[in-house]
Amino acid sequence: MPKLQDLQAHEVVQGIKEGLFTAEEYVSSVINRIEDVESKVRSFITLDSERALTSAKLIDRKFKEKEDIGQLGGVTVGIKDNISTKDIRTTCASKILEDYFPSYDATVIRHLKDNGAIILGKLNLDEFGMGSTTEYSRYHPTHNPWNLDYVPGGSSGGCGAAVATGECTVSLGSDTGGSIRCPASFCSVVGLKPTYGRISRYGLISYANSLEQIGPICRSVKDIVMILNIISGKDIHDNTSMSSSPITINNKIDKFNIAIIKELIDGSDLEVRKTVYSASEKFKEIGCICNEISIKNLHYALPSYYTLASAEASSNLARYDNIRYGFDLPIAEYKWDTYFSNVRKNFGEEVKRRILIGSYVLSSGYYSKYYLKARRLRSLLKLELLKLFKKYDLLIGPTMPILPFKFGEKIDDPIKMYLVDINTVLANLAGIPAITLPIGFSNGLPIGLQIMAAPFEEQKLIDVSNALENTINIQRRPSLI
Amino acid sequence: MISKDQLGYLAQISKIKLSEDEAKKFPEQLDKTIEYIDILEELVSGDSFVLDLQEIKFDELRDDVIRMSGGQRINKNLTKDGFLRGPKMK
Amino acid sequence: MSLVMIGLEIHAQITELKSKLFCSCRGNYRDLVPNTNICETCCGLPGTLPIINKKAIEYSTMTSIALGCKVPDKIMFYRKNYFYPDLPKNFQITQYNVYGFSSIGVDGSFELDDSKKIRISRIQLEEDPGRIAYVEGGMNVSNSALIDYNRAGVALIEIVTEPDFTNPKEVRLFLNKLSLTLEHLGICDTLMEGSVRCDVNVSMKGGNKVEIKNINSFKEVEKAINYEITRQTSLYNRNIKIESETRHWDDRKKITFKARSKEEEHDYRYFPEPDIPVIVLGDNFVSNLKDHMPELPNQRFDRFVLKYNLSEHTSNILINDKKLADFFESTLKVYFSPVEIANFLITDFKSMIEDDSDNTDYLRNIKVKPEHIAELVKMIEGNKISRITAKDILVKIFESGILPSEAVNNTNSFKIADEKTLMDAVESVFKTEKSAVEDAKRNHEAINFLLGKVMKFTNGRADPKIAMRLINNKLNKPDA
Repeated sequence: MPKLQDLQAHEVVQGIKEGLFTAEEYVSSVINRIEDVESKVRSFITLDSERALTSAKLIDRKFKEKEDIGQLGGVTVGIKDNISTKDIRTTCASKILEDYFPSYDATVIRHLKDNGAIILGKLNLDEFGMGSTTEYSRYHPTHNPWNLDYVPGGSSGGCGAAVATGECTVSLGSDTGGSIRCPASFCSVVGLKPTYGRISRYGLISYANSLEQIGPICRSVKDIVMILNIISGKDIHDNTSMSSSPITINNKIDKFNIAIIKELIDGSDLEVRKTVYSASEKFKEIGCICNEISIKNLHYALPSYYTLASAEASSNLARYDNIRYGFDLPIAEYKWDTYFSNVRKNFGEEVKRRILIGSYVLSSGYYSKYYLKARRLRSLLKLELLKLFKKYDLLIGPTMPILPFKFGEKIDDPIKMYLVDINTVLANLAGIPAITLPIGFSNGLPIGLQIMAAPFEEQKLIDVSNALENTINIQRRPSLI
Repeated sequence: MISKDQLGYLAQISKIKLSEDEAKKFPEQLDKTIEYIDILEELVSGDSFVLDLQEIKFDELRDDVIRMSGGQRINKNLTKDGFLRGPKMK
Repeated sequence: MSLVMIGLEIHAQITELKSKLFCSCRGNYRDLVPNTNICETCCGLPGTLPIINKKAIEYSTMTSIALGCKVPDKIMFYRKNYFYPDLPKNFQITQYNVYGFSSIGVDGSFELDDSKKIRISRIQLEEDPGRIAYVEGGMNVSNSALIDYNRAGVALIEIVTEPDFTNPKEVRLFLNKLSLTLEHLGICDTLMEGSVRCDVNVSMKGGNKVEIKNINSFKEVEKAINYEITRQTSLYNRNIKIESETRHWDDRKKITFKARSKEEEHDYRYFPEPDIPVIVLGDNFVSNLKDHMPELPNQRFDRFVLKYNLSEHTSNILINDKKLADFFESTLKVYFSPVEIANFLITDFKSMIEDDSDNTDYLRNIKVKPEHIAELVKMIEGNKISRITAKDILVKIFESGILPSEAVNNTNSFKIADEKTLMDAVESVFKTEKSAVEDAKRNHEAINFLLGKVMKFTNGRADPKIAMRLINNKLNKPDA
């Protein structure tokens, strides 16, 4: 029997329901794991072990009294720190929200709690979700559990690392341009960005609202499904949310017609390419067809993404003026606009850059040159993909074009950093679901395979991922643990 | 090329005070980003960005009902009359 | 100097809406403790999303229809980005007319009178910001701003006209008619404090446009325009160029002063609001609304004239006061005598009410009810009391809410039709008003004086027709 803290979510619930262990025992084991590794990995911004243990005891009491402990009873969840949790400090890894305690729970948090999940703490990210390594966190960076000198990916880096090390059972991250898939790939865990609108964004602190979705990062496809079904659903608090059907784990698989995106493969490092090709052979083994295709407008995707994301960010982050909430800065002596500017100088550099670019591309004179063209590209790309999905069930490619890299390698050149997202932004621009699966290592560093499907076709993604997971056997535990 | 004035203007409309260091290195960094997104110029322009817009039907919208959630939403800086104290206007 | 061109930009709150535009907080924020009518959403707390109010779309569409505008099949919202302490998100969600998507109404027109129409450029739906109050004397002196978000998020309808007005009186007429329309549609009570704001732009002789903001009631608009015309004329006469600028109206000093020049104007960086999808109104939306929306003032006017046979003059007075028109029709339900009731209401009733003019919600709070008026008019028509008596009784009802028949009984005010009693009164008057009697024999019009005396003698109860006959008879008698 594996260690308690390495159990998957479905195993935890089953274990508690069968009386194999108590929720308190389980949660204590997770907390022990945190104590062992956190000083090295640094996944958390806020850890609330007291509350977690109290919740665990409550679950045990319920179980004793033969009450329903919920579909996620006893499961510990790490929450990316840009998702609002009532009365638990929510910082977005920024100094601007250093003292911010939300007065409400995000809808996804409510769903988790209603099903017995235990909120363990808030996980590290790049400030406001802008970045791919957690190096832009204003608190501290998170370290890749597979090699502590390397970045864990981002912006949900804390989620990737915490799940990989067993510091929580499952986690919830958010993905605007790859922020779930990048860290999941770099940390060798499973991450899903759902179809846009599948998950309520109420409570997700906006970075780019037309692009982002909350999604699960877990140790297995089965756990992804468990979490996804619980957090999905149309929400009256989010006019962009839509209803969807629950996903099931099937143990058979249709003969899917799969296309490998040529541009994504060609733009990747050799090691990555090799691993992805061998994974595609596995698809053939399980009865799928695999062909290479080209996407016409792909080279405009990343510039389009950065234009739109920065534009939306510049507006979404305008509210941070420290008047209604924030951090301690007395108002005396400042005129209001100077106060605002002085408050906002506390954003990190990357956030500042994106806000400035966002203001630039929206300003009169540049709006049609950048913003409108980016919107147009987005429409064209989506149409092209939807056409492809009439012919193919799934599109695949490497999640990341490169292996995880060392801290400091890309931080001096913003463009170098942006290029890291080149494979992932496509799914956000088109609003389609995308999953990343761990498929191998190179020099001890993880490689992930990205699979995309048409809107609301998560079932196909899960079917093929589940089959692949069962076929591919890779090392699951970093030596750290 | 982003000039110092242009950068100043952007910082002004975004209400962000830049440090000396940032004022020095941002023009070049922002330039690189703008150069990168300039590729969008190759695209044909047209008003039809509307192709992919999400829609919602009128009937699905919220009814006009009052629902007060209760409890203070602002905790800092309130005067005894309940006003929020903000910085001076002039 | 002539060729004045005036355009208006009006913001009217949808005061009839129960909740705010994008959240479920109360729409009427007046008289509440500051910062108690708020929620996470209207405060702009991180992670919150706007959830649009269906009824607001209906009301703004009705406004578009009433102003003759085209209503699109689909509508979209935009963000107007600027920083200000009363703006919780530092952007306002509004509408914008670009790229094939129009706001809730465009290209309409509104009839000012028989000869002139004002073109309506656009109508849009948007949210109100919060309010800033100042300590110690005002914006220029105060050490801090006091912010109240109770109003933040309340629904506004913005109406923009083309610069078709050529003088302030036209503007005043337009605003009166617009208020009436909004009231009749049950959208905005324009008398409620802060429910309407009006910005004006004025240009003369084809010169630069000057915008005047901060006019906080329709009453002040005419004054502000007059001042501005005078100011611009004076500059013109001294050969000084009129700058294109934004000025503020100071309603204490009654002047406009420069606020900021158009060059410094904000770049609002409009872009489509990502949190609100395109709203599909549907094919039957407008026609359904047209069928079910309340009557417009001119429709009601036509109905009063045609159906109730009221004169245009009477109908006009009723229509110009919606509450009175409603009162009138409620009274008709009790006793159907339109002409008589209308006349009574627009004379005796209205003048009495107007004395109580500081009570703007007068028709809701007074003790006189449609039932009272119905009964009074019934008694007048049944010849039980005179018109004059009715007026006195009305005062009593106004004070105490007493039923008319009771009041008449108590004061013994029934009309005197009995000839014997009336003859006694006439005799008495003839004795005391000997010179008037002489006058009356020669000058027929002086009879009215005698009639008046008889009425007074009988405390207004004499039946005037009978009394007149008796007076005439007596005058014509040789021994008078």
